[in-house]
Amino acid sequence: MTELQAEQGAQALEVPREAKTRRNRDALIALAVFVVLALLPTVFSSKLLLDFVIRCAAYGLFATSLNLLVGYTGLISFGHGMFFGLGAYGFGLMMQKTGVPVPAAFVATLAITLVVALVIGAICVRLKEIYFAFVTLAFQMLIHSTILSWVSLTGGDQGLRGGIPRPPFLGIDLSNQLHLYVASCALLVIGLFLMHQIAQSPFGYTLRMIRDNATRASFIGIDVWRAKLTIFVLAALFASTGGIIMALFVSGAYPEFAYWTISGEGIFINMLGGVTTFLGPMVGTVLLLILNDTVTRLTDYHGLVLGIVILFFAIGLRKGLMDFVVEWYAQRRNGAGERG
Amino acid sequence: MTRTRKPGVSRRATLAMMGAGAVSFATPWVARAQAKTIKVGMPTILSGRVAQLGTSSRNGVMLEVEKVNAAGGLAGRQIEMVIRDSKGQPQEAARVARELVNTDGCEILIDAEASSGAFAVHEVARDLGVLCLHTNSETSALTADPKQHIPNAFRTARQGVHDSIVGGSYAATIAKAKGLKKWATCSPDYAYGRDTTGEYVTYLKRFAPDIEIISESWPKLFQPDYTEVVTKILQAKPQALYSCLWGGDLTSYIDQANIYALFSQMEVFAVNMADYTALTVVKNLPKGIHSGNRYIKTYPATPENAAWGDAYKAKYNEYPTNWSWENATAIMLLAEASKKANSADGKKIAEALRGLKIKSPFGADGTVTMRAEDQTLVGYAIGWGTTIPQEPYVPQVQAGDWKTIFELEAEWKKSKGYA
Repeated sequence: MTELQAEQGAQALEVPREAKTRRNRDALIALAVFVVLALLPTVFSSKLLLDFVIRCAAYGLFATSLNLLVGYTGLISFGHGMFFGLGAYGFGLMMQKTGVPVPAAFVATLAITLVVALVIGAICVRLKEIYFAFVTLAFQMLIHSTILSWVSLTGGDQGLRGGIPRPPFLGIDLSNQLHLYVASCALLVIGLFLMHQIAQSPFGYTLRMIRDNATRASFIGIDVWRAKLTIFVLAALFASTGGIIMALFVSGAYPEFAYWTISGEGIFINMLGGVTTFLGPMVGTVLLLILNDTVTRLTDYHGLVLGIVILFFAIGLRKGLMDFVVEWYAQRRNGAGERG
Repeated sequence: MTRTRKPGVSRRATLAMMGAGAVSFATPWVARAQAKTIKVGMPTILSGRVAQLGTSSRNGVMLEVEKVNAAGGLAGRQIEMVIRDSKGQPQEAARVARELVNTDGCEILIDAEASSGAFAVHEVARDLGVLCLHTNSETSALTADPKQHIPNAFRTARQGVHDSIVGGSYAATIAKAKGLKKWATCSPDYAYGRDTTGEYVTYLKRFAPDIEIISESWPKLFQPDYTEVVTKILQAKPQALYSCLWGGDLTSYIDQANIYALFSQMEVFAVNMADYTALTVVKNLPKGIHSGNRYIKTYPATPENAAWGDAYKAKYNEYPTNWSWENATAIMLLAEASKKANSADGKKIAEALRGLKIKSPFGADGTVTMRAEDQTLVGYAIGWGTTIPQEPYVPQVQAGDWKTIFELEAEWKKSKGYA
């Protein structure tokens, strides 16, 4: 064994340990964030805040999962909203028609999403760039049209009516807003933690490599198609979870959840928050929801205001907020280093 | 040189800002403590293709709120409307409705949402227990389906099934008199269009069993070009055509069908024609289109109705819409119920609303009733007539018979498993 090989071997042993400590640190941060979120209602009694965080959880999971495709793998999906809608409808229908316990419906909905995403993904991820974008959009419209026309099951464009029943399980009653809030926070934090692990794993780095140079990745023996399909399905599962939270929040599911505008909002959130950092989409979500809620309160011309904000980010900053902050911070540190 | 002032925010400025912050935070609480007003929240659609739904609903509401406030408000409390845009998205409708109640302190909701948004707000009302009046959704299931029923939600709008019964019986009479056997339909492709057309045809065949539908067209909602639909209908050569297109879709359809002289080749029944949104926009309104009344100030032909339509026109410089009267009725009912209950409390008003009969310019006999059993509006003016190209647009309206409506509605409920 040469010296070089020995060194490499030592490094190989080193890496998992490092990864493990990083994972532990992430888990601790996630736990801390969850505790803070869960304690918020004891400090602020505002129901608006609870509603806001629940919606942040739904959109945040959706947008962050979209970033796994857009930012990490370079798959610009225009149809990610279909899984958001699928989650909402799957869960709502399961609860209305079968009366199974909530966790069972949750798992079953994810299972359905898994199957659908596998089929759609297997067809889509072979395509590149604009073709991929448009075929995902086509599938989204297919699902949306199915929801609209299958009136006997989905209620057509009136949506799932009559509320989603949610029998209490393990002492958790999701029809209680506080319980729903804590459950949404838990799902959000767990979801973000898992997605972060995916992004930081060797698989996550494979994705970045595929994004930067797919040909090179395949030449060093990576099955590009399989990697893309895997992340497509994983992202779909998180988007579906977001849809489930939304269905619980509005106690129903509506065709709008599977319409292209939801996908568009996801892309917009990513533009707003930035795609180069993991938390960019989450920041974008909070930003968009705050903007949306305050602007609709103040004026009927919210479209105009939101449009100007998009223009500012697209033409003014030329990047998302988090990208900008990270760069600005790095520059400042470098600048301070040079001076010091 | 030494700097006398540090960069950034000074202590004095910080204190001033904190003070200002405290004041701005405290002000709403002070205001609320003094307030005797009762806030009424209203989620509706104020942007996009159907923004007119929201604006004309708002106008209808405000016209009546001013009268109620001038007369002392709801049990001595002035009404303050908080009206907010939902953009026609159900999840936004639910959010806005929750925000109105939870944050803005609204004690009553006027749900001026269309279709799916109304069902979303309905769930919010179920969850929060707040008094809610649906003013725009005409989907029968909202009140007819017992699964939807909650004690705190009412509907002050038309109901699809009422329209179909009256429309079907009117059309059957004409069909028999003129021997119209071959019919075509052309309606927008979404729940309202499909359901309304289905029900209409059911009742048409019930009253005139020998008619047949030889052609069906389902243009998309908000479709700009109807050439293909028009030529398809012309080729089928029906004797009569039914359509429940509405608003801008109906007016574009008529303008385009006029080019092919469609209206001289068959009898046309367009349920949503007799509304000023369509009547005043069409370039050449053909003579003799059969239409249901939506809102028209000449029907019911009473001085009260004409006065209401004129007052609205004078204030907003446009004629009221179907949505206007439906929303105005909500405020009229609220005011009357509050008077009866001598309270502005939502639960007491709800109690008083059940079975309440009030005088109304929009009533078939000068009154409308909030039916107790399913908490929906009955007794409103409903009828059909034919158009002329200038005001009053629909000079003669044949009134629908509410006795027949009730009988057939009960039967319909049974067939749907609702009763």
